[in-house]
Amino acid sequence: MAQNTPPAKLSFSQRVFRGLMHALPADFRANFGHEMEGVFVEQKRDVEQRGGPLDFLKLWWETFVGIFRTAPREHWDILKQDCAYAARMLAKSPGFTITAVLTLALGIGANTAIFSVVHSVLLRPLPYRDGQQLIFIRQQAEKVGMPDIQFSVHEVNDYREQNSTLAGLVEYHGMSFTLFGHGDPERVSTGVVSANYFDVFGVKPMLGRTFEPGDERSGAPPVLVLSYEYWENNFGADPGIIGKTFEMNDKVHTVIGVLPPVPQYPDENNVYMPTSACPHRSSAKMIENRDMRMMEVFGRLKPGVTMAQARADLATIAGRLRAEYPKSYPDSIGYGATASPLQEELTRAARPTLLVLLAAAAFVLLIACANVANLTLARMARRERELAVRTALGAGRSRLLRQLLTESFLLAITGGALGLAIAYGSLEILTQFAERLTPRAREIHVDAGVLLFTLGAALGTSILFGTISAFFSGSNLSSGLKEGSAGAGAGRSRNRVRSALIVSQIAFSFMLLIGAGLMLRSLMKMQQVNPGFVAQRVLAMKINYNWAKYSGVERYALAAKKLLDRVEAEPGVLSAAISSGYPLEPELISAGPNSNSTTLQVEGRLLQPGEAPPTTSDAAASPGYFRTLGIPLLAGREFADTDDKKAPNVTIINESVKRRLWPTEDPIGKRVSFDDGETWTTVVGIVGDVREFGLDRAPTSEMYVPVAQSGAVSTLIVRTAADPQAMARRMREVVHEVDSQTAITHEMTLEQAREESLVSPRLTATLLGLFAGLALLIAAAGIGGIMALAVSQRVREIGIRMALGARPADVLKMVLGQGLGLTLLGVAIGAAGALALTGLAKSLLFEVTPTDPFTFASVALVLLAAAIVASYLPARRAAGVDPIDALRSE
Amino acid sequence: MTRNKNVESFLPMTPAMFHVLIALADGEKHGYAILKEVARRTEDKVRLSAGTLYGNLARLESSGLIVESDERPALGLDDERRRYYRLTDFGREVAVAEAERMDEALSQARAKKLFRKPRLA
Repeated sequence: MAQNTPPAKLSFSQRVFRGLMHALPADFRANFGHEMEGVFVEQKRDVEQRGGPLDFLKLWWETFVGIFRTAPREHWDILKQDCAYAARMLAKSPGFTITAVLTLALGIGANTAIFSVVHSVLLRPLPYRDGQQLIFIRQQAEKVGMPDIQFSVHEVNDYREQNSTLAGLVEYHGMSFTLFGHGDPERVSTGVVSANYFDVFGVKPMLGRTFEPGDERSGAPPVLVLSYEYWENNFGADPGIIGKTFEMNDKVHTVIGVLPPVPQYPDENNVYMPTSACPHRSSAKMIENRDMRMMEVFGRLKPGVTMAQARADLATIAGRLRAEYPKSYPDSIGYGATASPLQEELTRAARPTLLVLLAAAAFVLLIACANVANLTLARMARRERELAVRTALGAGRSRLLRQLLTESFLLAITGGALGLAIAYGSLEILTQFAERLTPRAREIHVDAGVLLFTLGAALGTSILFGTISAFFSGSNLSSGLKEGSAGAGAGRSRNRVRSALIVSQIAFSFMLLIGAGLMLRSLMKMQQVNPGFVAQRVLAMKINYNWAKYSGVERYALAAKKLLDRVEAEPGVLSAAISSGYPLEPELISAGPNSNSTTLQVEGRLLQPGEAPPTTSDAAASPGYFRTLGIPLLAGREFADTDDKKAPNVTIINESVKRRLWPTEDPIGKRVSFDDGETWTTVVGIVGDVREFGLDRAPTSEMYVPVAQSGAVSTLIVRTAADPQAMARRMREVVHEVDSQTAITHEMTLEQAREESLVSPRLTATLLGLFAGLALLIAAAGIGGIMALAVSQRVREIGIRMALGARPADVLKMVLGQGLGLTLLGVAIGAAGALALTGLAKSLLFEVTPTDPFTFASVALVLLAAAIVASYLPARRAAGVDPIDALRSE
Repeated sequence: MTRNKNVESFLPMTPAMFHVLIALADGEKHGYAILKEVARRTEDKVRLSAGTLYGNLARLESSGLIVESDERPALGLDDERRRYYRLTDFGREVAVAEAERMDEALSQARAKKLFRKPRLA
């Protein structure tokens, strides 16, 4: 048998055998392949001569089994060898290993942490049965800019009865009641829900039962369902809780069930009650008046119904209501109803921020990969001789590739493990951050999906930079032996790859820095923006009267007056006020300016057909409110004690209202109506605009009415002479001295409220800044590294130049110029990328355009400065080259 | 090439590996010859495939139990592609130890009358 059998003469079975042998490691094939094939051919010949078809099958079977039993062992052996070798090699260059592992760990850690959050919040289905069928239903008045209007009792019933696409429609509103019978009077957050609320959400009780239709009948005995957390924290998870009674709203409530530990939407509540048990919801006024809206509505799609079908269904009902009740739904407001998936609704606020952070983290990982690839390439340049020697000793290219990939693999696995630790460490902070954006934050944890993601990221990284480096290192191994360490052809192509990697690192760093810079600029603008009030030394306290004791506006007005007189008599109090809320109140910010906006009518002004009536937010304020908050009075007068229920209704408007309704006239003395002309309210003053709903939100139209005319008493505001926090305790005492049944839900200084409102943008800016700083550091180290290598490879050339008369300053300039050249190229590419991408982050920016020239210029300067610093050391080394030494050493 | 390896660490051996050592005990052989001899000696009870055979040869060679022989039959008598393997001293030592281990087990089995009928060695 001749050795060089031409491939064309191979028999079919030989070709199959060769194919099978590919399961074995390449080295093994190279060593034994020929012989194995020979043995197989002879075995086959034996069978053909002596055996039957059964023997033939048996031979194939045994051959097949033999190869696939041998292959894993051989691969495993090689892996063990390679890992041991790789570990030795990595231990030999600790600088490289530590830098590479840390770079990867940071990249992978940042990605895992952010991806954990994104996965838990945006990707995972809601933790309810068939959560994708749950929808959030909202009414809209598009022509007056109200995209999200709550529902009245009539409306809930109409939509429930008339829809054909929903398996269930339930209502919800959050209340805060005082609960007696369990230690001190306690303010409990209460979800007031339809009887089938938990059935529609698919939540089964952990103890007892949830509500039944009978519980919702008017006059049914009041019942409560406790949330798991409230039951655990306040009742020590007492299993005998069912049947216990508590007093609430002057009625005895019986506990009938405890919820399992599920996330509660839309609010985390202590207890739940059916609609009939809520005194507001079950009042005749509430039930009869189609225009008294306070409920959120959720639904569950019938199986097989699409979102579009449900929307069409709701729109049809809205059309019917428009035709039937033109007074409640005039054509001018553009009334309609629509729905969106609950999941989308719950994550709307978080989505842009999280996606920006995810992109930033991905950039960091890309930069980390480029950096590790670069480090590996630089290391290859130093290992050229070792690899050349191994090639000369017979190691095949595929064997070396495998070895190099193993080293990358080890690095990636170590980096990945460390990254996972970093992710775990940072998850708590991220969860606190996400809590401000979405109620789903409590679901955040590192789960199997994220673990897989990290592993994928680590392995992908390994293959990416391992292959790149291995591929380019193998291009001309024999030259390593011939030429020593001076890079020739292979070296030059490798330098091109390294330069490309550096340029891409700079480009990505630039984009990250732009992102961070823009966020920082926004944040600074937000901090500098005039909020319209003076936040220093003001304490705000949410007070909740046991309202069962107070019926009617006069009673509240009296209580408010009594409290104010007592508070103002306290030493250290400069002024005090009672109101419905305070600027930058966290609840107000999360509810948004549309939450309490109403339409109004201006006396003597008729709407054109199709013209939308004006809208405004309204707030209640006692005399002294504007003085206490430092809101300037621009015209007219403040409220007085005489503005009570017996006096004519008055209102104070802000500048925005004046601009919109009376741009050229004097509004003082003009009259408006909030109830279609039934009663009229006179404008008595104009005050400055206040950024009530967030420093980043433009002031909206706001009309203030006296507390004594509206009865909305829920906030005590105190301006103090000294530190307001030191006064908080005394203020609490005074509130309880006036009425011991008043619950104080929270207190905060207005400066705290202001800071609080900035936490989210500040965290976004901090995280982006962290990522960008990391990227800058990695990129600068990369530039320094490549310049150092370039200098060491060009010592001879530099020596010649200097021998020919180049001065050290020229050499310095040359090396610095090279570093700067790469940086400029990176900056140019990064700027193009940033211009293309920053538009996506527009919704996160405040008074800064995504193409803000100042940010772009400063970031470019920062990067160039970093490049100069990083190139300076190698450049000085180059300038210090002694031509004689350089030439002799070669 | 014994690399301080302990004989014991190779025991017990897989039947295939032991049969390869036995096949080489009386002189060097190439792969196909080993395979044929094992089949003949065991009356086809132990059948090595190409993969199993060379997996074992690779293992035995890297552990220093066998080496590739430099000597070749006269030119023309043989396929150049074939390599010949022979037992090293260490390999012989390991094979003997394995045989003794089996012998001991056999005599214990015999003492407990675990054989159907006595057989001549």
